[in-house]
Amino acid sequence: MGLKPVTTPDTEAATISLNIDGETVTAKEGVSLYDVISSMGKIVPAMCYHYTFDPFGSCGMCLVLQEGKKSPVRSCTAKATEGMEIRTDGEDLFAARKKAVEKHLSVHPLDCPVCDADGHCELQDMAFEHQVTDLANAKQKNIPEDTRSLVLDFNMNRCIACGECINICKDVQRIDALQFMKKGGFTQVVAKGDHALDCEFCGDCLAVCPVGAITNKFSKYVYKPWQLRKTTTTCNYCGDGCQLYVETKDTEVVRVTSPLSWKNKWGDRGDTVNGHGGICVRGRFGFQFIDSKERLKEPLIRNETGLVPTPWIEALDTTAKRLTDIKTRYGSEAIAGLITARCTNEELYVFQRFMRTVLGTNNLDSSARYGHMNFVRAMHHALGINRTMNTSADLTKAKAILVVGANVTETNPVASLRVKAAIGTYKASVIVVDSMQTNLAKLASHPVMVKPGSEGAFVKGLVKSVLAQDLIDPDATAQAPEALSALKAAAQAVSLDVVAAETGIPVETIQEVARIFAEAPRSVILCGEGIVRQPDGYNHTLSLVDLAWVTGKLNKPGCGINTFTEEGNEQGAVDMGVAPEFLPGPVSYAQAEARQKFSEAWDATLPDAQSGKSLVEILEDCRAGKIKALYLVGENPLGTLPKSFGVEEALSQLELLICQDPFLTETTHYAHVVFPACTFAEKDGTVTNQEGMVQFVRPALDPLGESVLDWHIMVGLSNGMGHALPYETTQDIQTEIRKMLPGYYNLGEPRPVVADAAAYLRNGYADSVRARYADGRVQESSRPYGLKLIQLIYHSGKLSTKASGLMDISPNTGALRMSLEECERLGLAEGGRVRVTSDHGSLELGVQADVNVLPGTCAFPEHFNEPPVKDLVRVVVDPVTHVPYFKSAQVTIEKI
Amino acid sequence: MAHLEDQRETVYKVDPANPETKDLPILRTEELLLNMGPQHPATHGVLKVILDLEGERITKSTVVMGFLHRGVEKLAEYGTYHQFIPHTDRLDYVCAMYNNFAYCRAVEKLLNVTVPERAEYLRTIVAEVQRIIGHLFWLGTQALDIGAMTVFFYTFRDREILLDWFDELCGARLTTSWYRIGGVERDFTDSLETKIRDFLAYFPPKIDEYVVFLEKNRIWLARTVGVAVISAEDALGYGLSGPTLRGSGVDYDLRKYESYGAYPKCEFSVPVGKNGDTYDRYWIRIEEMRESIKIIQQCMDQMPEEGPVMADVPSVTLPPKNRVFTNLESMIQQFKLFSQGFDAPPGEIYCGTEAHKGELGFYIVSTGGGKPYRLKIRSPSFIHMGAFDYMAKGYMIADAVTIFGSYDIVMGECDR
Amino acid sequence: MDTQKQTTRLLDAVLFREIWKAMKVTFKHMFHRPMTFQYPREKRTIPDAHRGALGLLRYDNGQERCVGCDLCEAACPSRCIKVISEEDKSLPLQRYATEFYIDITKCVFCGYCVEACPVNALAMTKMYEYSTHDKRTLLFDKERLYEIGEQHLEDAKKYLYAHNQEHDDEESRAYRYHFPQPIEKTEASDS
Repeated sequence: MGLKPVTTPDTEAATISLNIDGETVTAKEGVSLYDVISSMGKIVPAMCYHYTFDPFGSCGMCLVLQEGKKSPVRSCTAKATEGMEIRTDGEDLFAARKKAVEKHLSVHPLDCPVCDADGHCELQDMAFEHQVTDLANAKQKNIPEDTRSLVLDFNMNRCIACGECINICKDVQRIDALQFMKKGGFTQVVAKGDHALDCEFCGDCLAVCPVGAITNKFSKYVYKPWQLRKTTTTCNYCGDGCQLYVETKDTEVVRVTSPLSWKNKWGDRGDTVNGHGGICVRGRFGFQFIDSKERLKEPLIRNETGLVPTPWIEALDTTAKRLTDIKTRYGSEAIAGLITARCTNEELYVFQRFMRTVLGTNNLDSSARYGHMNFVRAMHHALGINRTMNTSADLTKAKAILVVGANVTETNPVASLRVKAAIGTYKASVIVVDSMQTNLAKLASHPVMVKPGSEGAFVKGLVKSVLAQDLIDPDATAQAPEALSALKAAAQAVSLDVVAAETGIPVETIQEVARIFAEAPRSVILCGEGIVRQPDGYNHTLSLVDLAWVTGKLNKPGCGINTFTEEGNEQGAVDMGVAPEFLPGPVSYAQAEARQKFSEAWDATLPDAQSGKSLVEILEDCRAGKIKALYLVGENPLGTLPKSFGVEEALSQLELLICQDPFLTETTHYAHVVFPACTFAEKDGTVTNQEGMVQFVRPALDPLGESVLDWHIMVGLSNGMGHALPYETTQDIQTEIRKMLPGYYNLGEPRPVVADAAAYLRNGYADSVRARYADGRVQESSRPYGLKLIQLIYHSGKLSTKASGLMDISPNTGALRMSLEECERLGLAEGGRVRVTSDHGSLELGVQADVNVLPGTCAFPEHFNEPPVKDLVRVVVDPVTHVPYFKSAQVTIEKI
Repeated sequence: MAHLEDQRETVYKVDPANPETKDLPILRTEELLLNMGPQHPATHGVLKVILDLEGERITKSTVVMGFLHRGVEKLAEYGTYHQFIPHTDRLDYVCAMYNNFAYCRAVEKLLNVTVPERAEYLRTIVAEVQRIIGHLFWLGTQALDIGAMTVFFYTFRDREILLDWFDELCGARLTTSWYRIGGVERDFTDSLETKIRDFLAYFPPKIDEYVVFLEKNRIWLARTVGVAVISAEDALGYGLSGPTLRGSGVDYDLRKYESYGAYPKCEFSVPVGKNGDTYDRYWIRIEEMRESIKIIQQCMDQMPEEGPVMADVPSVTLPPKNRVFTNLESMIQQFKLFSQGFDAPPGEIYCGTEAHKGELGFYIVSTGGGKPYRLKIRSPSFIHMGAFDYMAKGYMIADAVTIFGSYDIVMGECDR
Repeated sequence: MDTQKQTTRLLDAVLFREIWKAMKVTFKHMFHRPMTFQYPREKRTIPDAHRGALGLLRYDNGQERCVGCDLCEAACPSRCIKVISEEDKSLPLQRYATEFYIDITKCVFCGYCVEACPVNALAMTKMYEYSTHDKRTLLFDKERLYEIGEQHLEDAKKYLYAHNQEHDDEESRAYRYHFPQPIEKTEASDS
């Protein structure tokens, strides 16, 4: 139909004027007539229309009369043209629409009492609105229900063949998992090829289904819409920060929905650059952990018999006393704390204040250290900013997107839709550099499948290629000619042929990619775990800065370097200064005036500028016996880090290990005190997504059992230690954050950032760039396979493994994922077993063929510790940022 | 009744300027504050009146209301229009039907729904039966308050017949919820019709019987004649309505002036008093019962034999139940109406109905959607209590009970 | 004022004539049958339409009528009904109420739930004597409601008939209304 947005960043459509119901309106030529009518605020009923995809025109409801035409036309598929005269109302149109509703009703089953959509059903609304009271010839379809899918039940008796599910899957998700099929005399929606549905299970089809034809298996028949209490909150599973509606009934979560619904169908196709309002499988189906039976309900304190339930007051008192004791005996330096970046900004802020003022130590870190810190530090160092440079809308409108080492679909599914929209709607060139056949790579114009671990080398190759092809942007480099010459000199060390050999990509491709990236007016770099969580991540990010700088993509609108965060609030953890090197802001901890400012505001002396240990150092110091007490908030280092890192020894050395978690984890086996914490659905506060948008988290439920908000526990401990933190409500903390970081909340909009590379390019750039480009060689290993610990779309960290819905969709297969070719080459049938050996151990594993895994690679989801594949990996620590890298290893695989 | 005078003029008073006038005995004069209620059997619920007394005379009275406040008006904002009908039962709980009627009329006016003819007759009959019940109840309790026990037994005996008739009609004696927006819940059965006709024959002599007890009884006269006099201007000024207003000689009856239900098709007269005292209000109520009998009689005769009792407006009224089982469109109608309610047009409406106490009005603000944005009830009891201080001034404590009894107050309606 | 009238008034006053008139009526009533009756030895005849305690009904084959659609909960003005529903995995497409509570202390006996019920699973009975010493027992659960429905089945059916919920009394006794139309499930073969 081509009713895609007519106005793109590149072209402006002509303005036309037309007459609707006697009013003259202006519109862009070529847009859907329906959009023009709805933009006037007139609502014409339509059941198959949704602004996020191309009009389908099956329901026959959106009829309008065009002057000069005898019969009514469907306004959704009609294009607005100059001088049209349209009438949207009238008896005749009402009757025509009523006929259309009757047509749908006549084959609809008498299902309302059992149907989950009842009360939230467009067919009901339309029938009621059009006062259908006397139907002739109602007949039943009697189609069996399709319950084969893991999450969705298809009851095609209720289907009105509006095709919304199929269209959203095709046009927005670009998965195309559903199709119409003529079966048993009726057109039905079935999964592609009439198999069991096997897709990303984002559930957008469920959200847009205007009737109850698609049903959520996890909440089937347990609710009616009017029973549910809807809480708007922010998803905690990844850094996208999607808006969720957590719908609860009494004390349980019944379902999770999002702004995407057939009810929000009016809009302009161009609005989709701001997101389509949908959520992914994790958000929609992974809510069961909130009211899980495994949740901790009361504080536990270890005595001789083990962890014993203890009343809060006693638990807090004991813990505070023991912390005070350790502080007096060994000094503040002997205490450290780690917090998960799934906490809210307010909790993170209180945590760092608690650690720094009450405990007096700068040994604190968050889970942003596992990778995001590389990006933040690199951007902070080079450009003076602390987060991604672009908004999601920029991604969609980009002309060229370089996706390096980011399996966006799997890690940040909704963010990937922006890239997909750029591909599909705005025809952007997308270059995917990855060592996996990612979902985006399949859609990308230039999939560049590199050897595992050579993403960094490829980036250097790109820089070299840009320099060699003279794609340098003269304006951007003119201000720092000496830096350019330093880069040129450093790049001498890189040879494109060597890069080609290392990455397995021909030189021509590298040249072409470099050309596309440099020549596009709006180029965006997206880097992900393939860069920031792999060895040398910090330097590779700096190489990306080099690439953006020489091609002039640093300061142009719509250009920039971006990353994706794994946990909900990693950006917030950085902003709130939960790292030894940062104070809230973030500002460098070494800055004397910043320390002075906070020390005054908090009325306390802050630890020394030089003090402070990051995650890796903290654990090493625990092992060495230097740290005696460790405060873990939602962190589970034992479950996260490989065994060879010695977390177990470190934890068993401690005199006091405080764990604060909603669940019992591996780490709590060593804990002396376990505090029951709340999940995001019980919290009140804000989180910062990867774009820098501060969004609200609102409590959908009361805290389960005796569990308590994280910051309450910290304030309780501070009371017990005699340095009461002055917070009573979340608003108190927010007020303080507002005071200390003016404009941080910024009404939920990302604060604008300006990249300024001038200082970086002037001071010491020449030395660092030489060092970075000199040593670009990937070390050859005798072990032929690259083992990757990958993320799955169905999971996020270890939290999602507590959600039964996600475990149903994606259980732990315990199998190594290998490409089909490799399986064949090793003679492995489905269910075959292999022995995987790395430098750090050996393991017997099942094998599972995975089309996304490239030959020469094998992968295992990082979410599962059983079998302990993570222990095959060695931890490599970044020399600059102290980020532990443990997501890849070289292994040998033998069939057994 | 000819020699009525305002007794306020003759209130015994100690001249404050000259307290030791020789003519007067030397009394210790001190104003006494008396809390009457809320736990007082004659306060018709939980009403508290703080009386400033001078001897036994009331010099000032402050009415304290709200002991029975249940937030009914707020409740209305949280349910559909339909769901509010049972709540109206509990306003004036002795005359639920009239509350239902007044409320349904207001919503119908908002929605512009026309009620079928037969339903209009049914509504009128039942409303008049309710009026008789109301007046019987009033008569019994007022007589009881004043000290005449016997009347109470006889009026309650006859009220009982009608309540049983209600039970048969709608399934409940007091909390009826029989009226529906657009009609009534169910039609009369043959047995109901026979019973009401029997009652029409039975009742008029009974009225005469009550009158025998009261009309000339000297105690009754002494307690009612010339008590709580209010002039026509004052009555209008205080916003009184119903028998209380008509007792003062104002010929104002919404049944005549707004002509709703089947009233315009019936011939009846509106009794109007002359003196504005408690006795006149009693007399009006007695006469109204006689008129009600006439209205019912006429309605029974004129009523169409057959016909729907609910308006057929699919967007407002429920479908017939048997269609719900078999037809999807009716099923949808049923579900939409019960779970979300009908979509009322935005706007505001006031609709007053002549209940037996006075003008019962519902003021509804709708912003569209299935629930009222605001609902205000103009309950006659509440308005009448506003005039209490004025009307009780100068009378004896014992008269206080007569006075608020003469408004026929029910605290459920007053406090809401 | 003429003398005649004055004399009458005087006589009326002196002889307490109005009192004698009233006493005459009172004495006449001595020969009436008493209007009262001796509850609980005697009981009122309760009309069919009477809105008493609620009961849940079954079809004649013993199947529960209630499909757990929750419309009664939505219709209830006093929010005294609570329905918890689930999928009945043994039957095709069957939803049923796992739990059904009516807090009879909150119930206002308006009968809206019966009016709302799309399967006529609820009906009001003539039962009104359920006072108890323990308020907790006034939270009627599903079991109790079915028990009431069984004990007062005839009354319940009469109620439905009286309130136009069932048009044909005979018809209502027949097992005529299955809900929903049976649809076989697909075998989970491909998953």
